[in-house]
Amino acid sequence: MPPQPITSVTRQLSRRSVFEALLHRSPISRADLAKVTSLSKQTMSEVIDALEQQGLVRSVGRSSGNVGRTAVLYELSPEGGHVLGVDLGARRLTVALADIAGRVLAETDEPTDSRGGAWTLDQIARLADRLARDNHTHPSRIRSIVMATPGVVNPKSGAIEMAPNISGLEHLNVVALLGEKLGSPVVLENDINLALLGELWHGCAQNVNNVAFLALGSGVGLGLYINGRLVRGENGAAGEIGYLPIGGDPLQPECRMQGCLEYQVGATGVVRRYREAGGAEVESERQVFERAQAGDAMAADVVEETARLTALAAATVIATVDPQLLVLGGSVGARPDFADKVARLLLQLSARPVEIRTSTLGRRAGVVGALSVALRRLHDEVFGVAEFATTLPLPPPAQRSVHQ
Amino acid sequence: MTGERAYCFAADLGGTKLAAAIADARGSIVAELTEPTDPRGAASVAEQIAAGAEKLAKSIGIQVSRTRHVMVGIPGAIDPHSGRVSQIPNIAGLEDFDVLGFLRERFGAEVAIENDVNLAMLGEHALGCATRCRNAAFLSLGTGAGLGLLIDGKLYRGARGSAGEIADLPLCDPNAPIPAAGGTFELEVGSFAIVNRYRRQGGTAAATVRDIFRLLEQGDEVAASVLDTTAHYVALAVATLQSLLDLELIVFGGSIGVRPELYERVQRALIGLFSRPITIAPSQLGDRAGLIGAAWAAGQALRQQSAL
Repeated sequence: MPPQPITSVTRQLSRRSVFEALLHRSPISRADLAKVTSLSKQTMSEVIDALEQQGLVRSVGRSSGNVGRTAVLYELSPEGGHVLGVDLGARRLTVALADIAGRVLAETDEPTDSRGGAWTLDQIARLADRLARDNHTHPSRIRSIVMATPGVVNPKSGAIEMAPNISGLEHLNVVALLGEKLGSPVVLENDINLALLGELWHGCAQNVNNVAFLALGSGVGLGLYINGRLVRGENGAAGEIGYLPIGGDPLQPECRMQGCLEYQVGATGVVRRYREAGGAEVESERQVFERAQAGDAMAADVVEETARLTALAAATVIATVDPQLLVLGGSVGARPDFADKVARLLLQLSARPVEIRTSTLGRRAGVVGALSVALRRLHDEVFGVAEFATTLPLPPPAQRSVHQ
Repeated sequence: MTGERAYCFAADLGGTKLAAAIADARGSIVAELTEPTDPRGAASVAEQIAAGAEKLAKSIGIQVSRTRHVMVGIPGAIDPHSGRVSQIPNIAGLEDFDVLGFLRERFGAEVAIENDVNLAMLGEHALGCATRCRNAAFLSLGTGAGLGLLIDGKLYRGARGSAGEIADLPLCDPNAPIPAAGGTFELEVGSFAIVNRYRRQGGTAAATVRDIFRLLEQGDEVAASVLDTTAHYVALAVATLQSLLDLELIVFGGSIGVRPELYERVQRALIGLFSRPITIAPSQLGDRAGLIGAAWAAGQALRQQSAL
């Protein structure tokens, strides 16, 4: 992108409001842009010309005006820059590419390299590179990257802590190494926080201001979005509900290591409890759920107990945080049969019923959330005004189109 | 207002006690009083608040009309949209009484109501032991249990004003690894629960928690055991809060919460209970935390009002 001219704050604000209108109303004519932004026609022409020259805006044909007159229509140019979202899971690695207007261009995933550490980082770089080239985008056009990771991203040190399911990352400077490989700044964020942001942007929590996202899959975690902001806590460990003192004695060694709740309802906990109850050998928690559905009474008991402990955890969230909406997500949490059980139990446990929805993005939630943060960062970089610290609202999901 | 100094009025309404104060525009208390809460219910209590303002104004030689902002702490949840108050078992009729309307008419001033424990949190944040915190909680233990939350430096009230209404926080007894029922916080640690537990364990006549603290001092073993159990449940609640919100500090307040006999037991019960250290501290402002927070909030609102 060519260097931007030095502009006054007024000029920057004009650019920003034109950009915002283009983001939400494309394709749109100069006259309508002037109307929406309350800028004069002359200012509008100057701003549009400048944005066009910088490759941020392009014309896309003419409108069929009502009295025979037609006007040139404009939209954001995909050349304005791309963003990359990455979801690094213990089992799957997902990467998605979007343009500056928030259109998701492509998405791909593969099993996470089990060797961990540097292998995982190489895998991410390889996948990102392939995705960009397959979409005729030079990787250097990717200007903002956000990655979802399990565990706690310490806001002070930037380290990934408490992510035992992916080996070898705790001693690497992931942000620096990945940034070097991909040639663009990388931001890490907790996977559940990003899944929550994904549901807020494209999923079941659009336009809700106070949301709790309870994810149950290989582990258990909580994302909190309060008054329009993520809650991270003092050390980035808010929502680490695996450590809730529910389901066991917190002083027992296994609870202290893993956290009481996670010890019982995490994937290994579900498998263990099924085995302890005398159930057959199973490889994963999914098989326990399948057996329960197929009529295995022992498996059904384990599922019932998992639902009850999850409902207890949700009840602590409702009593403490009073969310407007509770979203159940994760490979187990979003199962409709499981979510129904939790919702039913919550009616008995909680004095104040709260609306419950299941995640609509499923395992895409994390990568969609990563894209949303990467987009905001790119928008702020290109159109941010230092004196004006609010972020631009993201475009609605209607603009999404996946070409796979 | 022609150069006359403006004041504000603050009150902290409890089930047994009403505290009220007149403060200056900085929110510093100039005069205060404490009275038993009028037992006849909402309308009488509202009159009592207005009368308290008259008394205080007279004591410093000003007209009540000079109080330009009023902040009243209420022991219940306040819906942020409708302004309706709920979950107030201690003051008869308050849930159906238009507190805001009554106070506006009486004072002819800006009036706000706020949950009492939220105000205690604000008090500690402004002038007490949480002045440097951005993420903290005020855990009030007394007749009931309540929680005020400070998140990213701001009071957090919840979608329906019910954040921190932890009376129905489910708590599981770890001695029964997978319990049948949730068990709720207030049923385990409220003052009635403490007295009942004392009686069930064969304790001699104790009518109130205060009696139990007195008996403890005299070496009563049942009293010690009952407080150990209470502290155990409080510690579980603290671990729960920490796991959800990752707080820097949890301030203990309320008539039971500030007692060192309980507070120190909670500190002991917390050892090893959570993966990371948890910092708790007794309220620095004690039973004045709510009133001080109310005065501070009123002063802040007053300054914003006059800046307009």
